[in-house]
Amino acid sequence: MAELHVIGQIVGASGFPQSSLFCKWGVHTGGAWRLLSGLKEGQTQVDLPQTGDMAYWSHPIDLHYSTKGLQGWPKLHLQVWHQDSFGRCQLYGYGYCHIPSSPGHHHVRCVTWRPLGSWQEQLAQIFVGGGPQLRTPDLIYSGADRYRLHTEAMGTVELELGIIMRHFDKYGVEY
Amino acid sequence: MATNSPSVFLLMVNGQIEGAHFPEYDDLYCKYCFVYGHDWAPTSGLEEGISQITSKGRQSSHKLIWNFPLEITFKSTNPSGWPQIVVSVYGPDTFGNDVVRGYGATHIPFTPGQHTRTIPMFVPESTSRLQKFTSWLLGRRPEYTDPKVVAQGEGRDVTRVCSQGFVTLSFNIVTKDMRKLGYETMPSEPGNTLSHSASSGLTLDEQPFCT
Repeated sequence: MAELHVIGQIVGASGFPQSSLFCKWGVHTGGAWRLLSGLKEGQTQVDLPQTGDMAYWSHPIDLHYSTKGLQGWPKLHLQVWHQDSFGRCQLYGYGYCHIPSSPGHHHVRCVTWRPLGSWQEQLAQIFVGGGPQLRTPDLIYSGADRYRLHTEAMGTVELELGIIMRHFDKYGVEY
Repeated sequence: MATNSPSVFLLMVNGQIEGAHFPEYDDLYCKYCFVYGHDWAPTSGLEEGISQITSKGRQSSHKLIWNFPLEITFKSTNPSGWPQIVVSVYGPDTFGNDVVRGYGATHIPFTPGQHTRTIPMFVPESTSRLQKFTSWLLGRRPEYTDPKVVAQGEGRDVTRVCSQGFVTLSFNIVTKDMRKLGYETMPSEPGNTLSHSASSGLTLDEQPFCT
């Protein structure tokens, strides 16, 4: 069986309306993939940066997968949340990115979006906050039902990911 | 020559903690330690250290320079649990108490060669305003009892932090026997794709690729 190591960090995020942010993340794979060690989901700390608009999380990732096939290459999905000074949380963005499929060190920038409500909801959002959220978070990384949504652009999440591959060449896989 | 079928690989790290950028603070020193998984063991070198106290340069762009050496070699059978370096920075506050100014961590690079990493540094925040005020007054800021928690992915969702600076590290990496054990850490050069005859077991696709 071929093995894949994903070692790196969710560095942080920038370009959001507020910079007091945290992130819920998870990795989704196809059925042929088996997680041998590591955490495949988690939540970062809340950063309130002293200067600048980038929130830093430095959240470590260390995953070890074995696989029988290439179908369902791992995808990392993210939810960026804002926490205000009262401890209330508000969704700021959804995003996903594929785990890079070549060995080595990669700097990955994941763009994010959030659902847009009706104009009444948008008006309410300006005054009381909140906003629509996805009922099924798997929509983040699947393209099937996206056409129903109306979304707006949010900020970018930065990741540093290192990929180590083993025995893929034995099966003739080129990367 | 070494044996043909090694069971461990080695990771040699030579580098330095070059310095830091903290706009608000001065007279800082740093500590470092390594955090690694079960399969890993250091074979030589120092696992932790503590630097001198440095002040900002008068002429050169207010940088804090430590130039502090890192030299360590690890051995392992499995890349899982790859070592991370944890750096924590300390300095005096307005009353002269030694308080923490930042924690940060990064994985040791795994591709051979020279690497520079600038890592963000953050401190935990008090959860309430009253705590914040008393900690300022008494000079006892919240700290991690064990700095190694910043290298762990679990239990972070309860912490609020404030990022306030950067530390720059440089690494020179040498690995031994990783390729022999079958680990690819670098993209293969184009035209060098050695595709052995695909043995059974790995299904590439539902529809096989055209040949």
